[in-house]
Amino acid sequence: MSTLNFQYQAFGFNLASDIPLPELSEKLLIANEQNSISVVSGNYENWPSIEASPHSTQCLQLAAKEWRLALESIGWFRAAAGESLEYQRWDDSVSNRDLRTFLVTSGLGALAIQRACLVLHGTALELNGEAVLLLGRPATGKSTLSWCLQQHGWQLISSEIVVVDKNKKIWPGVQQLKLWHDAAVALDLDWQHLPLVRRGLKRYALLGDQLNCLESAAPLRCIYQLMRERQQSKSEADVLAASIKSSQAFSQQHALLLLRNNAFHARVVRGMECEQQLFMQASALARSVPIYTLRVPDGIRAMKKACAMVDLLDPASIQEPNIEEGNKGESDA
Amino acid sequence: MLEQNHGYWYLASYPKSGNTWCRVFITELLRLAGEEQGPELDLNNDIETGAIASSRLWLDDQLGVNSCDLSFSELDPLRGSAGQTAWLFAEGERFHKVHDAFKSPDSRNRPVVSTAGCLGAVYIMRHPEDVAVSLSHFFSWPLERCVQFILDPTAALVPSERNGGHQVRQHMGRWDQHVCSWADQQQLPVLIIRYEDMLCNGSTTFAKLADFLGLPVEQVLVDQAIANTSIDKLKQLEEKVGGFAEKPEGCNRFFRSGRSGEGAEQLSIPQRQQLAAEMADVMKCFGYEGVEDDV
Repeated sequence: MSTLNFQYQAFGFNLASDIPLPELSEKLLIANEQNSISVVSGNYENWPSIEASPHSTQCLQLAAKEWRLALESIGWFRAAAGESLEYQRWDDSVSNRDLRTFLVTSGLGALAIQRACLVLHGTALELNGEAVLLLGRPATGKSTLSWCLQQHGWQLISSEIVVVDKNKKIWPGVQQLKLWHDAAVALDLDWQHLPLVRRGLKRYALLGDQLNCLESAAPLRCIYQLMRERQQSKSEADVLAASIKSSQAFSQQHALLLLRNNAFHARVVRGMECEQQLFMQASALARSVPIYTLRVPDGIRAMKKACAMVDLLDPASIQEPNIEEGNKGESDA
Repeated sequence: MLEQNHGYWYLASYPKSGNTWCRVFITELLRLAGEEQGPELDLNNDIETGAIASSRLWLDDQLGVNSCDLSFSELDPLRGSAGQTAWLFAEGERFHKVHDAFKSPDSRNRPVVSTAGCLGAVYIMRHPEDVAVSLSHFFSWPLERCVQFILDPTAALVPSERNGGHQVRQHMGRWDQHVCSWADQQQLPVLIIRYEDMLCNGSTTFAKLADFLGLPVEQVLVDQAIANTSIDKLKQLEEKVGGFAEKPEGCNRFFRSGRSGEGAEQLSIPQRQQLAAEMADVMKCFGYEGVEDDV
């Protein structure tokens, strides 16, 4: 039996783990605490058989309250009943860092869905007691923009996956920013001394002591769907002229579609039979929190410059009157 | 209705070899046959852009993880298993552009594309000298760089490990390796067609393509589709939509000349000799002449 020496909080849950998870907020060790989610090593061969949903794939086995991920050369992962997260290494060459990469993102996301949370692909930040949520699939620049905003006082609440509760509050979750090599260089970071997200990737992990992180939940002020705007050129003049602009607020109908398309792994939601839950939660959020498109410069230096002049808590101040409501053509994912 | 509407096909090619022309032709043929809607072809709405098999969004959905967290050597062996359940391919488009070689050095001898439920592949090839010229316009690269790219065993699209993107790395290798990877594989039925034959012998070549893909084969429809997708027509359509969506930054127009023989006109003799010397076997096998050393 593993010893659960490491205790954390994420998305309002307590977690007790047998491996360190520095991407999460530490919690004081309380002996025999009840209701903690356990994160423990296991043996996938002993996992009970399931009737897999047709939404399952070669890597993902899904059923109600059951999520299993098999990643060749990395390991096996299982989230069950919103209560436990298990893992097994492929072999001894797989490091804790390798495991954590998938445990605290896909694993924790699946677990939160099992616990009836609204889980979105995005990054949430806080300033002056209010939160904004940046939505966007991987590689849309959420982490780069978040790093830039951190330089202007914003605190990170959660990155990659974000949980919004029924009171429209965002809870601290994964407190790590992953930056590609090109971004780290453009942002003048000392990348040679930054830890890699995983061995073999030119991607760096910024954790706790390199970030300003929020330790408590914050009410959600507004949501932005990130869009990178191609620059005409990378000249100094264009960098100086670059700006960040928002659209008009989306209609509720489009906001709902956008939230659904940005739900953390639509396939996982469907496969765990949580589509109705997602629809209800996304509808409620679309009714109560405004959603905009946020157009940010594609160039990282331009993005950094533009961040200094923008108040994301006041979308009206950065609205371009001629930009129509965001993605009219947003289609089903 | 088509007979086989639950399978899918790959349209595979080295870049700038006529893949888009094939896709436009297929779309137009279906439109003329009344199986697709619309009074006229709309390049940016009717043509499926991007390659789903290398789409990060598609792979993330299939794998259930952020593929940015996987190295090439972890991702490539998994790519072929993405879609084995055939769910999304069955729900989505039937003709998928692929620029990857069939296998990559990282894929552990497995295909990097899913073969489950796939009905076959059309491999479109073009004289490497002409590919070099077309690449030069597309990427805004000097010709010499394009020649070396075609001869580079590690050549890839989106090759960088330094940044993310909406498409994952697509290994191609040398032009001749790319050709052999698709032509010699045994897992999918393959029809090999040459760009030069699409130009000079369009009726027969496109009819063969339509027959292989189970599309309408009435010659009058095939010929009309060819006429409606001539390079001049495509240029007009591109102008009409203000630029084809697949046109990269810095490239003036996607549909440029479409001619064959530009490589012979624009490459230097040493460049042509180098291509011929290093890829002679495959070039000759598919009827491509190069410049011998003693010219």
